[in-house]
Amino acid sequence: MLDLCHWLETTSVGTVVRESLYGFPILVGLHILGLIASVGVVLWFDLRLLGLALPAVPASHVYRRLMPWAAGGFALMAVTGGLLFVGYASTAYVNVFFRIKFGAMLLAGVNALVYHRVTERTRDRWDAAPQLPAGARAAGLVSLLVWTIVIVSGRMMAYTMY
Amino acid sequence: MLWLDTMQASALAQAITGSRWATAVLSSLHLVGFTLLMGSMLVSNLRLVGLALADRPLEEVTRPASRAAWIALTISVATGVLLFVPRASGAAANPTFQLKMLLLFTAVGVQALAVPRVAQAWRQPASAYATGAAGLALWLGLALAGCAFILFE
Repeated sequence: MLDLCHWLETTSVGTVVRESLYGFPILVGLHILGLIASVGVVLWFDLRLLGLALPAVPASHVYRRLMPWAAGGFALMAVTGGLLFVGYASTAYVNVFFRIKFGAMLLAGVNALVYHRVTERTRDRWDAAPQLPAGARAAGLVSLLVWTIVIVSGRMMAYTMY
Repeated sequence: MLWLDTMQASALAQAITGSRWATAVLSSLHLVGFTLLMGSMLVSNLRLVGLALADRPLEEVTRPASRAAWIALTISVATGVLLFVPRASGAAANPTFQLKMLLLFTAVGVQALAVPRVAQAWRQPASAYATGAAGLALWLGLALAGCAFILFE
């Protein structure tokens, strides 16, 4: 795995990310903007699941109306994050905060998958209710927690990697 | 300025500088607060310009967003002040930091004074578009200035 990381760093993309004057700051800036648009907006769906915001709006409606914005942010975050990784693959790979961040992102993915595949099967019964069943509330809480871990560990990487 | 130097020499500043993890942890929490703040302000201002949840009354979206934003702002400002103290003179003289503060105060001003007024209407008044557009520009500008400050300090 570490060999693969070293190879990624030697590719022309990796070199450009590391050595161009403005490449790194522009990528980090866009990565943070993507974070704000994606996680910042997803938090609002989580708050709806928890019954803390927009209780009168059906959960699926909040999801449909907010997700296009979050999806744009996720795309931006994934592309810039991928490029930053290529530039610093081996340093990131051995960094404990990168590993925590990666694990938390996987958890966020599993949590979303469980919500859409399992919890939402009974959605017709509770979609418009202000207070949602435990499964839906748990999905909101887990999402809030894991994204907070992603943000914290991502920011910690800046202090422990370079 | 003298009071900035005094602040920078304080025991609190030295405790933050001396600790290995304080700055990193404070920066992390600063970003957590800021993400919640920006998420709330994006949802609120996108509603004002009619680009998100446009079928719901303005206030139904802007009110909870505002409440969450005040909590998030408290986290961001508390951690921001602690990050500022150890580098007070340098930061205060930094044009990016000055821009960041100017955008913050203007954005908070628009949010506190204009948004509650324009959001009272059920239909979409022209003032809501204008306020939402100004809000989006100010908050996104603040985010960009924040990124620039991290990267070029």
